[in-house]
Amino acid sequence: MPLTELALTPGIWLLLVGLGGLLALDAVSFPQIMVSRPFVSATIGGAMVGRPVGGMLVGAVLELLSMRHPPYGAAKYPDTGPAGLVAGAAYAAAGAASIEALVAALIGGWATGWAGSYAGHARRRLNGRLVADRPALAASPGRLERRVAAALAIDFGRGALVTAGFLVPVTLAAALAAGMPVAGGEAAFGAAALVTALAASIGAGARTTAPDGRAWAMVLLGAAIAAALLWNLP
Amino acid sequence: MQSLWNYPTMIGPGLAYAMLPLLRRVHAGDPPALEAAMLRHLESFNSHPYMSAVAVGALARMEADGASEDEIRRFRTALRGPLGTLGDRTIWAEWRPLCLLLGVTLYGFGASPLVCALAFLAPYNAGHLWVRYWGFRRGWEHGRTVGRLLREFPLERLTDRLWPVTMFLLGAAAVLLGREIFATAGPGAVSLPLLLVAGLTAVPAFRWPNRFGRLAIGLLLSIPVIWTLLALRGGGP
Repeated sequence: MPLTELALTPGIWLLLVGLGGLLALDAVSFPQIMVSRPFVSATIGGAMVGRPVGGMLVGAVLELLSMRHPPYGAAKYPDTGPAGLVAGAAYAAAGAASIEALVAALIGGWATGWAGSYAGHARRRLNGRLVADRPALAASPGRLERRVAAALAIDFGRGALVTAGFLVPVTLAAALAAGMPVAGGEAAFGAAALVTALAASIGAGARTTAPDGRAWAMVLLGAAIAAALLWNLP
Repeated sequence: MQSLWNYPTMIGPGLAYAMLPLLRRVHAGDPPALEAAMLRHLESFNSHPYMSAVAVGALARMEADGASEDEIRRFRTALRGPLGTLGDRTIWAEWRPLCLLLGVTLYGFGASPLVCALAFLAPYNAGHLWVRYWGFRRGWEHGRTVGRLLREFPLERLTDRLWPVTMFLLGAAAVLLGREIFATAGPGAVSLPLLLVAGLTAVPAFRWPNRFGRLAIGLLLSIPVIWTLLALRGGGP
């Protein structure tokens, strides 16, 4: 697709940046209804540029790639809201489905997610300063309420900033990648490598959910039934 | 609850903020008591964000019942571990993957994005909101004895039974998504045998999750590098 035809107009860019802030808020601060999961946020990103199905593909892959990063305690994990939004919008804006654009969007989403994570780490430290003076907060509960409002604003700003920083570069990278198709065999190699990466991530992530090795019987059953059904799908 | 998450006191300030309306009621007309209560609840605390509703209810009840400061502090400390572990294990490790995989599997079968997103969000948030409601209500009703109820946490009983479904959906979603990925590589690129062979990588990854988790990202990052090298060798794609 020629870059001049990209659906990422300044208006949509601005809207996506605002959405990035809201999705970043959802992950930790409020309301944690999980619209920040890449499966949803990438679909929103894709829908904003007219291809929700394309966005959802990126989101589903990112979702399974991030399975091994549950948000336990003080763990660091990718900020999936802006990551999915950026990757979904970038892939959708790149036009027709292509493995080149998909790989570019996924790498861009992965980078966005970890940039968001490091920005989140800085936010945690800043929050520590906001609530350092506990006696003052206890003496004046209204001050605590204002600190909560400030923390929400900071988190929104963090998500918006990360989205703003990555949206255009990742979209351009996906569009450029789509415009430079690799040969058929190399494309198939890319797909195979991506599926292998996905399988490795799923295996690693399943460890957090499955109680023991017995889980594999069910995984194999699900895979076998899906594969059998696939033969009959167009 | 987690908006003021920070390293020294974690969700302590969030807990105090969530309890503020109740504390204002309990200590109405007694500003020094309100200040003392705020000070102890601003201290370090951590738990799963949804399960912290149990702490909010139970601690507010203890404040209302006039429990001593020492008793409230000890109870608060004792509650941290179980609420965190129970929430992480039940919600992050079981309930969320189950609902997500339901959505992803439907996507693999060609359902519309709206249906897929709702298939994840609707059941997930039904469980989420119920946990918050149940937690606060039980915490308030039972106060310091709420710990016993945690052993009968209904969502845990449900997810204990549903993990085989999650694993089944994981297998199905992996194959369906693999097919979608191969489809982006062009017509004829879909190879079921290759898909299944690639899928076998999941088996050692279960045994060595950290190594294979890193391998997954390494593989993803290596794809454009290999494409570039192949293009340079062949004089361009």
